[in-house]
Amino acid sequence: MEEKVNISIDFAGIRLGNPVFTASGTCGYADELSDFMDVSSLGGFITKSITAKPRQGNATPRIVETDSGMLNAIGWANIGLDAFVEEKLPALEKLSCAVFVNIAGETIDEYVAVAERLASSDAVAGLELNISCPNVELGGISFGTDPSQVAAVTSAVKNVVGDKILMVKLPPAVTDVSVIAQVAVDTGANALSLVNTFTAMVIDIETRKPILANATGGLSGPAIKPIAVYLVNKVYNEVTKSLGIPILGMGGIRTVSDAVEFIIAGASAVAVGTANFVEPGCAVKIIDGIKGYCASKNILNIKELVGSLEVN
Amino acid sequence: MSEKCSAAKRGVYWATVCGNKQIGERFYRLGLEFSGAGAEAFAKIGAGQFAQLDLSETALPPADKIPDELADAAERKILLRRPFSFVDVTTKHNKTSVDILYCVIGPGSLRMTSLSAKDTVSVIGPLGNGFWVPDGKKTALLVSGGMGAGPLQHLAKILTADFRDINVTAFAGAKTVEELPFERQLDEISQQLGFWLREFARYGVESLVATDDGSSGFAGPVTDCLLEWLGKSDSACESMVIYSCGPEAMLARVAKIAKEKNIDCQVSMERRMACGIGICQSCAVECKTDRPGESIYKMCCTDGPVFNSKTIVFHS
Ligand SMILES: Cc1cc2nc3c(=O)[nH]c(=O)nc-3n(C[C@H](O)[C@H](O)[C@H](O)COP(=O)(O)OP(=O)(O)OC[C@H]3O[C@@H](n4cnc5c(N)ncnc54)[C@H](O)[C@@H]3O)c2cc1C
Ligand SMILES: Cc1cc2nc3c(=O)[nH]c(=O)nc-3n(C[C@H](O)[C@H](O)[C@H](O)COP(=O)(O)O)c2cc1C
Ligand code: FES
Repeated sequence: MEEKVNISIDFAGIRLGNPVFTASGTCGYADELSDFMDVSSLGGFITKSITAKPRQGNATPRIVETDSGMLNAIGWANIGLDAFVEEKLPALEKLSCAVFVNIAGETIDEYVAVAERLASSDAVAGLELNISCPNVELGGISFGTDPSQVAAVTSAVKNVVGDKILMVKLPPAVTDVSVIAQVAVDTGANALSLVNTFTAMVIDIETRKPILANATGGLSGPAIKPIAVYLVNKVYNEVTKSLGIPILGMGGIRTVSDAVEFIIAGASAVAVGTANFVEPGCAVKIIDGIKGYCASKNILNIKELVGSLEVN
Repeated sequence: MSEKCSAAKRGVYWATVCGNKQIGERFYRLGLEFSGAGAEAFAKIGAGQFAQLDLSETALPPADKIPDELADAAERKILLRRPFSFVDVTTKHNKTSVDILYCVIGPGSLRMTSLSAKDTVSVIGPLGNGFWVPDGKKTALLVSGGMGAGPLQHLAKILTADFRDINVTAFAGAKTVEELPFERQLDEISQQLGFWLREFARYGVESLVATDDGSSGFAGPVTDCLLEWLGKSDSACESMVIYSCGPEAMLARVAKIAKEKNIDCQVSMERRMACGIGICQSCAVECKTDRPGESIYKMCCTDGPVFNSKTIVFHS
């Protein structure tokens, strides 16, 4: 039965061998993971956020563990666009899975410059737009929390990416995630990914100071999974289902059943993030497990599972 | 080892516990055994390299074995692996045994105490770059603070086995004698001969002890003990190398001494690590570049944890 199950998917116009990705910032530039798994066996790979210039990132501590989760405030540390294109893209081009480059910026011009250059590369299947960044031109308000900013950055990037997939990554802590999702889709996104991390804080009660040097950080890991599943289901029902736009669901995925939950909620594909730190290579196990789950439920094509939530 | 000794093939391996002995109020020595690919991967591990242990499935010790000051922290669930380096590595009959010297300070190390023979632990490693031996060295000084003593014992073993023309002396510091992570100090006669610690004496390595409160050995910081020793030594500075592992404030003082005396010095840095394999960027260490005044972040887990002390920008 299992060999008859088709878990390949159509993702915004491209064919992926399976619906499992690794999430931005949790799998480096792929070369670091090669001792632990065959990155090519993934459905898709997403780089950490790339910015126009290299970024050193924040002071330490950059992470702190919490119950069933962790906070990070890495500060978009990355080698910058030039070095990325010269040093990392050639190796990524050799991967047989779809490669998405996550891009971040502090101004719309920065997003556009990075997107334009990457869109000209054959190695890149698409871009993932990290809109959880402060807009320095607007006093540091996060792009992703303001619908007009989401529209501005999405449409500006859309203009320069040609036929590459433009996936907008949604911040979860907004009044109504569907409003942001709708704006992104209306202004050019042909896929959505959610969720990014939740802004959070851990306090050292001895010093009464935040543990992270940056004071706050993004919460990820199993702790956020039920909220992420809910948000994926909400965006699926309220925005993407009728338009046929795929969702890449993520947030706390660690096991096969976690991944299946997201797919039932409406995600066409899923990404593994924090779990890579604990079990590098677990994404590959999840691919096999999804196949096994489908077989056990007599599902021949994973498509049947997407958004199959039964509401009582 | 004149090159930086970097990891053999890194991987996720299962190890079997072969011992977990309490050697002090808060200190334990855990023995792990690898067979198959794990045995091969860990056989040649260099001193100062490390591994990431998954302790999330390990049970807490019984309530009466949990120190009062950790009772609250013990309630915390563990998600991430914990990094540990090694105090000894041996191979026999296609198996590799590694020992970890550890201190109980939080939920992970507390869980570690309940591991017992035949339990299995998932270990990612070998990771990072260990200590190396620059050319032309005749004297190696191993300077540890607290738990830093572990990897320096491993280094003492390697130096005395493979670099026989190098003279090795160890300095071990702690706040008080109770916080020295050694089983037992040697008797007075041995101490007068310069051998305080059995763990180093077994390799024929002289050792000195320093405690802040003077409860054993030199009264004062281990760095003062080192300075005093250097003052009496007639070895040429170019022929010496200092290896140091311990709290960052101590490493900073050791680095300063090394710089003033123009002695080569390597320090093992510690950072909070999520992955240990270079994918999360959490373990940044500020390092100088060739350009004056400029610094960049390097990753403790993949560029270190052992660094040339000259490159580190210390903040403490
Ligand atoms: C490369 C490397 C090698 C190591 N080798 C050893 C070893 O051989 N033996 C040994 O006992 N320990 C070693 N450590 C330290 C060890 O990893 C920690 O003691 C362990 O993670 C503690 O876990 P825990 O859950 O018990 O406590 P946690 O709850 O994780 O920590 C307890 C306390 O320590 C603080 N803390 C945790 N990690 C750090 C950090 N990296 N820097 C500063 N403060 C921190 C926390 O804020 C908390 O107050 C090593 C660390 C590194 C990075
Ligand atoms: C250490 C770390 C670094 C991350 N870096 C990025 C990043 O550079 N860009 C981005 O869009 N998301 C980043 N993320 C967010 C993840 O891609 C993902 O959206 C989030 O962690 C939720 O998934 P998880 O719970 O499976 O980790 C990062 C997450 C972590 C834990
Ligand atoms: S611990 Fe993840 S990069 Fe060093």
